[in-house]
Amino acid sequence: MKFFNLLKKELAELLNLQTVISLAVTMAMLMFLGSFMSSTIEEAVKQEYTVTLCDRDKTDFTAELIETLRKNNAIVSEVTSDSEDFSQLLSTAGKDSIIVIPQGFTEDLNAGKAPELISVSEMRSAAMMSNMSNNNDGAERLIRNCISNVFAERAGLTAEDVQLINAPVSISEYTVVKDKTSEVSAEEVMSNIMMQNMLLPIIVFVLIMMTSQMLMSAISNEKIDKTLETLLSAPVSRTAVLGAKMLAAAIVAMINAVCFMVGFSGMMSGATDSVKAEFEGTAINEYIPIDSALEQLGLTLGGVDYVLVGIQLFLTIMICLSVSLMLGALVNDTKQAQTMVMPLMFAAMIPYMISMFADVNNLPIVIRLIVYIIPFTHTFSAIPNLMFGHMGIFLIGLVYQTLAFAVCMFFALKLFKSDKILTVSLNFGQKSKFKKAKKNENQ
Amino acid sequence: MENVLEVRELSKQYTKVLAADKVSFDIKKGEIFALIGPNGAGKTTTIRMISTLLTPTEGDAVVSGHSVLKEPEKVRQCITYLPDEAGAYKNMTGKKYLRFMAGLFSTDIDTINKYVERAENICGLGDRLKDKIGSYSRGMIRKLLLARAVMTKPDLAILDEPTSGLDVLNAIEIRKMIKKLAADEGMSFLLSSHNMLEIEFVSDRVGIIAKGHLLVSGRTDELKARYNAANLEEVFERVVNDNEIL
Repeated sequence: MKFFNLLKKELAELLNLQTVISLAVTMAMLMFLGSFMSSTIEEAVKQEYTVTLCDRDKTDFTAELIETLRKNNAIVSEVTSDSEDFSQLLSTAGKDSIIVIPQGFTEDLNAGKAPELISVSEMRSAAMMSNMSNNNDGAERLIRNCISNVFAERAGLTAEDVQLINAPVSISEYTVVKDKTSEVSAEEVMSNIMMQNMLLPIIVFVLIMMTSQMLMSAISNEKIDKTLETLLSAPVSRTAVLGAKMLAAAIVAMINAVCFMVGFSGMMSGATDSVKAEFEGTAINEYIPIDSALEQLGLTLGGVDYVLVGIQLFLTIMICLSVSLMLGALVNDTKQAQTMVMPLMFAAMIPYMISMFADVNNLPIVIRLIVYIIPFTHTFSAIPNLMFGHMGIFLIGLVYQTLAFAVCMFFALKLFKSDKILTVSLNFGQKSKFKKAKKNENQ
Repeated sequence: MENVLEVRELSKQYTKVLAADKVSFDIKKGEIFALIGPNGAGKTTTIRMISTLLTPTEGDAVVSGHSVLKEPEKVRQCITYLPDEAGAYKNMTGKKYLRFMAGLFSTDIDTINKYVERAENICGLGDRLKDKIGSYSRGMIRKLLLARAVMTKPDLAILDEPTSGLDVLNAIEIRKMIKKLAADEGMSFLLSSHNMLEIEFVSDRVGIIAKGHLLVSGRTDELKARYNAANLEEVFERVVNDNEIL
């Protein structure tokens, strides 16, 4: 009963209106970002088959070319302008990309020369997605094919011959994972599992940061406001006080994780669904569906795998909580509390960044060992290890994390149950009060 | 009269400093005892040991028959402690804070309600108890905390610098409150202060502490007569000079 009283208080402190609002806003923003990405990609896909043409050659051939584009499902809009100022040309046309067929285009073609085509695109920012919708790639590809066909025809070749020249070899792609094989391209497998594996590291990172910050603030605020002394002099055990703080931080961190998970899933699915839609009907999907391929390759996670990942996530939070508790106890003021998050932030950031760009197991042995000393690394590499059947490494990680938690918790409990919780503090660049007292005494 | 607190040769050695050295004194039921001394004299360390926050290096303190070394949880059931410059949870309302603290002393709803009601009457904050503590003045917080410290009618209320940082009127009000609770309800108080005039007004007996040593203790009038002093400040000065301390 007293424990629940403590837990209720801790939860009320951590889950105030401000936190709930910021959490809801973050979630909404992530979802919005997802739908924004989705619409941008869809727009870009649509744009690939939309072309603005400025035909300055005006021959039968260019008219036929435009007709061919239309027959290939391209949405063609034509503009007329003689301006050599491309900026003006774009603004007059009200477009952000345009293809100009210059005068003499057909003449060059007839003379057997490669005719020049002018492709103009407006760049509005350096952002990756902002320029996705203003390229002429699709139209250029179609025009190039048409010209190839003209040259092929003149050389007495059929359209089938051209196709054969362009794709002289039929490639059947197979991917092998350990002893399992599936008829799917490694590129597609990679892009799918990458999207899937991106989510957990983000959640783990958010969890570590949130949990450490929350518990550290909970302990340091009690110390700074001198409410800790009142609490510890009340008839409740220190273990109950500590337990309530840790449980409340873990609960709030979990709520945060779920909200972030929902938000990020929304964002990711916004991006991936559009990309999948783009792939539909292309050669890649002529193999088997990607979900079946992943299953064939053993790259899907089963119930037991998720339980194992859950256990590791739990251990990560517990390690984080016990370390935060020790760091929080060293804090004297709010500024120090912000600084003390740094060691944990780096401990989370290093494996997070590495896991984003490389496989820890492929790093040189010395670096690999150093990185694996950080307990959080094992969580970041949990899913790849389970997927690719590195059970040994996964289980070693699990045992290592359990030991790390036991050691951290032992010291955290020892600190919390001792006098040090009230007397210990960090004095960066300051002489201790005892040294000062001794110096004054000698004077 | 029975002793509520018996402190026997209580010592605390930090790594390099002996903060309390064989401190001994008693407090009787309904008595207000004050530890006086300058900053760093060892008052807070002694109080923290009695409150079970710090473990004594030597000696023991017995509160209502329970040793701080052997039965710290039982000691905590008999005492309340108000630290120097203590704060309260700013996001809670005054009433919620009282209810939370009452919930740490009892699990019975009726008892909790009784404690809260008593604290509401003592602190005199009225409707402001419905407001968040973050909006309170320092004086209001101190009154709230003092009400919290006495709402459970503890055998011993330990108040470290109970009026520090308060204006004159608030300080007077709190001193009167302490005297009334001791006289009317038989509560015992252990106070600490470096404001000797305040202690002279409020306490029944005092103990003068400096550099971790309890130099002398007794009734204020007795000490004044013994040291031929006009007030406690003069008593303190003479005691310190006699013992060649400071």
